[in-house]
Amino acid sequence: MAVTRGSGAVVELKGITKRFPGLIANDAIDLDLRVGEVHALLGENGAGKSTLMNILTGIYQPDGGEIRLDGTPIRFASPVAAIAAGIGMVHQHFKLIRAFTVAENLHLGWHETPRLVRAATLEKRTHELAARFGLEVRADARVEDLSAGEQQRVEILRVLARGARVLILDEPTAVLTPSEAAALARALRGFVAKGYAIIFISHKLDEVLEIADRVTVLRAGRKIATLPAAECDHAQLATLMVGREIRMPTGRVAGGRRSVGPIVLQLAGVSALNERGLRALSDVDLAVHAGEIVGVAGVAGNGQRELSEVLTGIRPVTEGQVRIGSRIMYDADPAAFLAAGIGHVPEDRLRSGLAPSMAVADNAVLREYRRPPIARGPLFLPGAAAGLAKRIITDASVLVPNMRMPVRNLSGGNQQRLVARREMRIATTALVAAYPTRGLDVGAIEMMLRYLIEMRDQGIGVLLVSEELEELLGIADRVAVLFQGRIMGVFPAEEADAERIGLLMGGRAEPTVKQPA
Amino acid sequence: MMRFQRVASISPLIIVATRVIAVVAALLVGGLGFAIAGFDVPMLAGNVVTSSFGTEFGLEDLGLLVSPLILTGLAAAVTLRIGLWNIGGEGQFYAGAIAATVVGLSIQSNDVVMLPLMLVAGFMGGAVWILIPALARAYLAIDEIITTLLLNFVAILLVNYLCTGPMRDPQQAVQSASDRVPYEMPELSGDLHWGIGVAVGMTLILAIVLAFTGWGYEVRVAGANRHAAHYAGMPVRRRLMQVMLLSGGIAGVAGMLEIVGTVHRLQGGISNNFGYLGVMVAVLAGGLPIGVLPAALLMGIILNGGIVLQAYGVSTYEVLALTGLVLLFIAVGEQLAYYRLVRLRPVAQ
Repeated sequence: MAVTRGSGAVVELKGITKRFPGLIANDAIDLDLRVGEVHALLGENGAGKSTLMNILTGIYQPDGGEIRLDGTPIRFASPVAAIAAGIGMVHQHFKLIRAFTVAENLHLGWHETPRLVRAATLEKRTHELAARFGLEVRADARVEDLSAGEQQRVEILRVLARGARVLILDEPTAVLTPSEAAALARALRGFVAKGYAIIFISHKLDEVLEIADRVTVLRAGRKIATLPAAECDHAQLATLMVGREIRMPTGRVAGGRRSVGPIVLQLAGVSALNERGLRALSDVDLAVHAGEIVGVAGVAGNGQRELSEVLTGIRPVTEGQVRIGSRIMYDADPAAFLAAGIGHVPEDRLRSGLAPSMAVADNAVLREYRRPPIARGPLFLPGAAAGLAKRIITDASVLVPNMRMPVRNLSGGNQQRLVARREMRIATTALVAAYPTRGLDVGAIEMMLRYLIEMRDQGIGVLLVSEELEELLGIADRVAVLFQGRIMGVFPAEEADAERIGLLMGGRAEPTVKQPA
Repeated sequence: MMRFQRVASISPLIIVATRVIAVVAALLVGGLGFAIAGFDVPMLAGNVVTSSFGTEFGLEDLGLLVSPLILTGLAAAVTLRIGLWNIGGEGQFYAGAIAATVVGLSIQSNDVVMLPLMLVAGFMGGAVWILIPALARAYLAIDEIITTLLLNFVAILLVNYLCTGPMRDPQQAVQSASDRVPYEMPELSGDLHWGIGVAVGMTLILAIVLAFTGWGYEVRVAGANRHAAHYAGMPVRRRLMQVMLLSGGIAGVAGMLEIVGTVHRLQGGISNNFGYLGVMVAVLAGGLPIGVLPAALLMGIILNGGIVLQAYGVSTYEVLALTGLVLLFIAVGEQLAYYRLVRLRPVAQ
């Protein structure tokens, strides 16, 4: 590997500026990436992290400033040119072909791929590459059968195999389980030890402090600081990132239990199937009372999606009952759940919570288009819809230049805020929120959790599905643990500790925990 | 150094502009083909323009072609709004023509009663013809492209059977056709009947309904993301059914209007491929009902021009190829519209 060792900067960005209509995404940003370091790029949604990396990888052209590679000014016309120069990016949303095998994906669009493509040859080459870079992959497996962590390894291997010596990872842990994230961190340390340089985009402070050597903080398109990670702490980075002090809310009253109202949303002995017709929920009993937050902990893919879908009428149950208050909901009918005041922040907002190609205004009124002032009899009044949309996005603190713009052009964080705010408006009885803070930065997470607490204090029942134990233990009144479609236990939050829940999340039931009947 | 860069979104103005450029480019390429084949292209082009626009007859002929194209185009476009393809406009056209003819031949009354009645019959005929594909789509998720397409052939064969068998007019020696339907659409000008008014009216109504009613909003959301529509509590299945039946009905009305406006008898071949051309019209229109009007006009000019060209020895296949070229260029233009040319400043070496 022709990597020059030493303290020199492999990549230098000097005064990089990028303007979009009505917005300076990057304002004279300087950054140097040294050989053998993990350099974290930290910032809120919209701080300019992705724009900066898109410039470095040739997707965007800067309006000002220069890029130096090994001290020489360079300009990348395309991502292909960037990878040829040794700069590769692993995107947050994987760019793999799901129906192809790992070996095929690895060799796709690569000049070193043999002319005569034979599965055995490609797989052999894949094994060699995997061994060379120390990334274990199953060469003959189809990508659609792989876990998120495995897919990510394929992506990284793809980039490394093409000779990258600068690796850019965009929020790589967002889709990983804790153990996969730990494995990734180990792999990254291994790469930098061999002389690679890594840029690690994140807004999770803990992992930045754990993995990175240095941290650069961006805020509103500007560089705020570059600091050695060893000299930073959590609170300091959060303050730099947001520009004000952050205190994560804890909603519980210290000491005794709060008084809660009657049950508003309940599952009794519910089983349900997933998309593929396999059993995803088994005999689940769970109740949400008015004025409480019930947290659902678990590793993603253990029935969370199905749980929130049966609770909101999207997915039918195969056994058991769903009740809103005392009313038994016999049919899975989202309109009836909407009418009963059940809001739903879905797990995958682009797939089921939004119509990506439609305007922001159309998406904002998705739940209220049948009510005045948007509806007048059978009519749909676009003017009134735009008015309500403006209110919702203002409440959600989303900046939208134009309400007619397709919602897919909003950043992921802004989409999430829009959906959450929209659902809170209709959740007069209960709110089912699946990963509402996913993809949000620390400031927005704080805001989102405060909203949930506010709703709880107004007497609305909240079900919060999350992978972030800290978040659950911080604001939930009770925590249920979901593993392979079963509730492993429900605890009052003050009795729950992270270690015990962690064990249950992994399927290890303690003898003292009562299994729900 | 110049290179292309993809942009995330483009303005409606650019979309319209690329469409116009694509049509012009397709006509130029087609013209080049005709020139190579030895035709005097400027003369042909001049004749096409004057024959369509130069005389009242030309304009009337154009109108007669455009009215069914608007309706079959509208039929395809409305399904595109909910994310489906109705390729069966041809079959629904015939089904509407059959239903209208049967009603027209079996009831004795006057135009004022019979024309609305036949319109309803034509609509119902088209709707019935798409009923099975619609049910299969809504309840069994069976691809509507295949089912609607295949039913076209069934409808064509059914018309041939009826015209040679039970409905045959024995006095028609040369061509098998039904008896003459005694009711006629009033004329607007010369040969051009009021069918074009019906077509334009239906288009405007549908465009308004889609934009300004809750029903239309539900259709648009279900077309953009069916999962999101279900999540939001919309009756997606019912809307799929309704839109497909409406689509079939609109194509059926086109068939009915051909009977009462132009042909006056049920016979094979009366659709002139209007059903298939309607799919092209809808694609040209970008799936928007209001866009169907200019798209149908363009298609009408090409077809009308084709009739003129045939007089000069250009075959129908060459005219069809020209419409194919237009579609191809539009599809290419649709993608290219998302790219813009950027200039890269040279690298200081």
